[in-house]
Amino acid sequence: MNITFKMDEPVGSSLLDHTRQNVISRPIDRIEGPLKVAGRARYSAEFKFPGMVHGVLVGSTIPAGTITGINETRARALPGVLAVVTDYETFLRNPGQGLETEAPAQGVREIAYFGQPVALVVAETFEAARNAAGALDIAYAPAEARLDFRALQSEARPKESSQKSQGDLDRAMMDAAASIDAVWTTPSQNSAAMEPHASTALWEGDTLIVYGAYQMLSSDRQQLADALGLAPDKVRIIAHYVGGGFGAKLGISQESVAAALAARALNRPVQVVMTRQQVFEATVRRSETIQRVRLAAGADGRLTGIGHETITANLPDEDFSEPASASTQFLYGGEARRFGNSIVTLNQVLSASMRAPGEAVGMLALEGAMDELAEALDIDPVELRKRNLPPRHPMDDLPFSSRSLAECLDHGASAFGWADRNPRPANRREGEWWIGQGMAAAARSNMLITSSARVTLGTDSRALIETDMTDIGTGTYTILAQIAAEMLGLPVEAIDVHLGDTAFPAAAGSGGSFGAASAGTSVYLACKRLRETLAERIGATPEELVLSEGMARRGNAAKPFSELVTEPLVATATVEPGKTEENFVQAAFGAHFAEVGVHVHTGEIRVRRMHGTFAAGRILNEKTARSQCIGGMVFGIGTALTEELVHDTRLGTIVNHDLAEYHLPVHADVPRIDVVFLEERDHAANPLLAKGIGELGISGAGAAIANAVYNACGMRVRDFPLTLDKLIAHLPDPDAVQP
Amino acid sequence: MTEIRGTLRFILNDSLVELTDISATRTLLDFLRLDRHLRGTKEGCAEGDCGACTVLVGRVSGEGIAYESVNACIAFVGALDGAHVVTIEHLSSPTGPLHPVQQAMVEHHGSQCGFCTPGIVMSLYALWMRMPEPGRQDVEKALQGNLCRCTGYAPIIRAAEAAAGFGRPEEDPLVLERSGMVAKLRALQDGSRIEIGEGRARLIVPSDVEDLARVYAAEPEATLVAGSTDVGLWVTKFMRDIGPLIFIGNLEQLQGIEDTTTGVTLGAGVSYTRAAQVLARRFPQMAELWHRIGGEQVRNMGTIGGNIANGSPIGDTPPPLIALGAKVTLRKGSERRTLKLEEFFIAYGKQDRAPGEFVESVMIPALPAGEQFAVYKISKRREEDISTLCGAFRIFVNDAGTVGMVRIAFGGMAATPKRARAVEAALVGRPWSAETIEAALPAFSEDFQPISDMRASADYRMLTARNLLRRFHLETTGAGQRLERGAA
Repeated sequence: MNITFKMDEPVGSSLLDHTRQNVISRPIDRIEGPLKVAGRARYSAEFKFPGMVHGVLVGSTIPAGTITGINETRARALPGVLAVVTDYETFLRNPGQGLETEAPAQGVREIAYFGQPVALVVAETFEAARNAAGALDIAYAPAEARLDFRALQSEARPKESSQKSQGDLDRAMMDAAASIDAVWTTPSQNSAAMEPHASTALWEGDTLIVYGAYQMLSSDRQQLADALGLAPDKVRIIAHYVGGGFGAKLGISQESVAAALAARALNRPVQVVMTRQQVFEATVRRSETIQRVRLAAGADGRLTGIGHETITANLPDEDFSEPASASTQFLYGGEARRFGNSIVTLNQVLSASMRAPGEAVGMLALEGAMDELAEALDIDPVELRKRNLPPRHPMDDLPFSSRSLAECLDHGASAFGWADRNPRPANRREGEWWIGQGMAAAARSNMLITSSARVTLGTDSRALIETDMTDIGTGTYTILAQIAAEMLGLPVEAIDVHLGDTAFPAAAGSGGSFGAASAGTSVYLACKRLRETLAERIGATPEELVLSEGMARRGNAAKPFSELVTEPLVATATVEPGKTEENFVQAAFGAHFAEVGVHVHTGEIRVRRMHGTFAAGRILNEKTARSQCIGGMVFGIGTALTEELVHDTRLGTIVNHDLAEYHLPVHADVPRIDVVFLEERDHAANPLLAKGIGELGISGAGAAIANAVYNACGMRVRDFPLTLDKLIAHLPDPDAVQP
Repeated sequence: MTEIRGTLRFILNDSLVELTDISATRTLLDFLRLDRHLRGTKEGCAEGDCGACTVLVGRVSGEGIAYESVNACIAFVGALDGAHVVTIEHLSSPTGPLHPVQQAMVEHHGSQCGFCTPGIVMSLYALWMRMPEPGRQDVEKALQGNLCRCTGYAPIIRAAEAAAGFGRPEEDPLVLERSGMVAKLRALQDGSRIEIGEGRARLIVPSDVEDLARVYAAEPEATLVAGSTDVGLWVTKFMRDIGPLIFIGNLEQLQGIEDTTTGVTLGAGVSYTRAAQVLARRFPQMAELWHRIGGEQVRNMGTIGGNIANGSPIGDTPPPLIALGAKVTLRKGSERRTLKLEEFFIAYGKQDRAPGEFVESVMIPALPAGEQFAVYKISKRREEDISTLCGAFRIFVNDAGTVGMVRIAFGGMAATPKRARAVEAALVGRPWSAETIEAALPAFSEDFQPISDMRASADYRMLTARNLLRRFHLETTGAGQRLERGAA
């Protein structure tokens, strides 16, 4: 039984609201948790095959130029070394972008950035390969490199598809009762997933099998096949467990192609694990940005104009540009509007999607500007936002599929105690600390991506879900089991979930906050189809059918599945995006509140507490969803206060290419965080009535912190991250307000 | 004549490991994952930053065993002779129930992508064994060396606080089997030297400190390895050929802690963790600094002797030790000499240590009555971060209110840890007053010409160094208070 459903019309109701199994939305523990805490969940670098050998990638030591020769003599002479694999044409220059189906840029004779992998040294043991990698002599003809983003910003070229304009923004700025026109800068960042990129490649005849640490297997498979000149059905990617991705593993990365080539050349399985340095230097990063935000408003606080223009960087011939204005375009009204991105070509590692590409840094600028505008107009920041919620999309004139932003703002303000905030900066002192509070709105677009799943109802009253969807820590295993359990009237323990293998039906993959809703819908649809069959078998209409405790019921008549299912029942369902994507603005919304302390003498910033109220349609599992939001808010702490990838503008190296000096927040940086979900259903999003939640927590979180820093000490810092050296020279007189 | 054994022996979970062919630079993590296929322990960084590779290493200590968390990625197998190594696989069997710490992590959603999870479980396991009902600060300290990118940490901390509710240490197999394990480990100690391999690839574990003196005098080109928190990276990151390696981490004679009225003498092999208690008692002003050196795993592994001998310009311990007037004793063969610690550091990467000579101990004189002392570490990230600068101050203010003695030392301000002699000269004999401080500040430029780097600009370093002197003055004159964790 195969069915395809296209999301062309809003759905009237969802079965999940009628099945009454009390499984969906419940905060159940993640079902693979026991495996993970026992160290028995196996990741890509943890598969071992007879004859398997180890490869270590060798990266370029110049940022631009051409390889003139590779001398293998010293490396080959070392004990245990089997091969130095080079393939100038086929090796990937850089990883792929998410959802691309063609191979990423190939060809490594030309060097585009420092650390670009150019060869793979393969040896019997990992240590032998690592030693030999250090003994590979590569000669280069260096070329002049473009390394200084800020110095080169005037050479940025506009990205045509991003340019949008309406009305006369310059005029609106001139006529405004209050206006903001300022520039925010954010640094280069790295996803820093805990698991380094890794692939284990082996050939079975003419079929390549890769155990790869990837987020989106069905498109990754096409990228890999294209890179190697294979038909997609000759490539199988397996990723049962992925140690975090946050965007860095959306597309394939260099180690998979290198491992595949080496495995073919040596006729042995080859495992390649990137070092942490290679993850920083050669995979993906979030681009640094320069963002100009303009706001024009009347004395009543209503926006009359809004502009958000962004400069980012990328490698030659790469056109991804952090869409910083993504949510700015629909979050607030104002007739005159201008948005656009431009790109500086740099010899720095690929810029691509890191968690919440766009909003993660764009909201820092927009929500910082809104805070400044609120102050200029002497309007409460929460009220200013509520006053500017547009009834429909301000440019496309489309309705919102659902938007509980005003409710989130009100609820969050109340739960946080916003009313007690002193709006005057540098006016609340406790001991050696200035205390401040800030807020920001949260918004992140919602998407539906084509996704398929197969559900088999067995004769043993158990169900099996199979899809090449991944669980990168998000909770996919658990929510898919919950959906099936809810739909089929089975306990969660009776659902087996098999993910992360392209041998299964192709799914959306994990990215863009669309995974749960897309893959979840495919499971929902397949289960719905199974319900129809069961209804037929007990002579009920689908509406009359009640499934619970492994029984099918119609009125008082009931039959156990074991009687109804004598052969396994299989349904495969595919969901495709349809017209609701074009006819509605779809996004999840929320409100962030933060309280910080700024040390009166040193300028040290400590976050004291955070609160987030979110509305994202149906919450599929209250526990996994909450964790997604908390984790996102902690990304927000990093974005606001600690994370900055430092590029050396002379050598092209990344100075802090390790977890010691690329500062993720640690335990002690993270204060009490409260997360509340408001009840909401989105009928235009998908039949689950759910919206994506993986990136909502980060969107706006850093801005709330920055606004709180301003409220604490009266310093506006628009250059992220906010480190104490940017505050210390301008701290207010500590004796102005006594503790 | 010392017996020579060609086999390295230790216990891994519940089985005896005997190795006759092991590379001197084989890390414990690679041994576990690649040789033993124990893949539960993860590699997140291979440099001791992330904690995904955390395992426990237990050594006989008195009548029992002290189990400590370590970073397997930078621990060498060669250092494990006579130890009990416990990995995540030992906590529960595939068919049996989860360990209480594991169950708490599941129920409190402390694991998402799962990659940092085994390391976090091991850190929490070590904590739970010695402190089943920890306070929030104890949990944070135990987890300083574990990074997580998914959970936002709060669920992990809740799991740690709840673990005792799922089971008590008294019922833990490791605790129940402790006396048996002590006997097994004792049986491995036969007083012989271990030598494995040939030439530069050689691995040597001396039988005692006398044996070390002999071996090192004969092999002055060898690299001494104690906690390997620094040397580990020479191998995993810099791919340096540093053989042969002499492992000194478990030499009992270097583990001595002498606590007398005149001062504290620490053997060169004493770890930060082991030194913490005595130092916190004798020099409570150092306690906060101590909690911010590396993470728990690094403090369990790293040694005072190693921190001094490697001569990092930043080095967390030299500034306070110099300010306190510490002396270091070096030994070569049977010859010993003792010098002031500040004289040990000559230039960047260069110490007053002859080939074949090793740091044997460091003596920290007691703080005389009436003297005041403080040390401040400035870093960007509060925990698990390298000092941007570290300043230590000791002063005696006489009855007339003038500075009778002052000693100031900084790390991160010069090519070595260094005394601020010009600043000291500008203070001594003058009233301990704000005016004197302000007048002395220009002297910082005579003592230090710091560099600008990623951690801070030269200007920032200079300003902060001066402000730390101001702060020390304020704190010693009762005007200020300690900067406490968090703003609450």
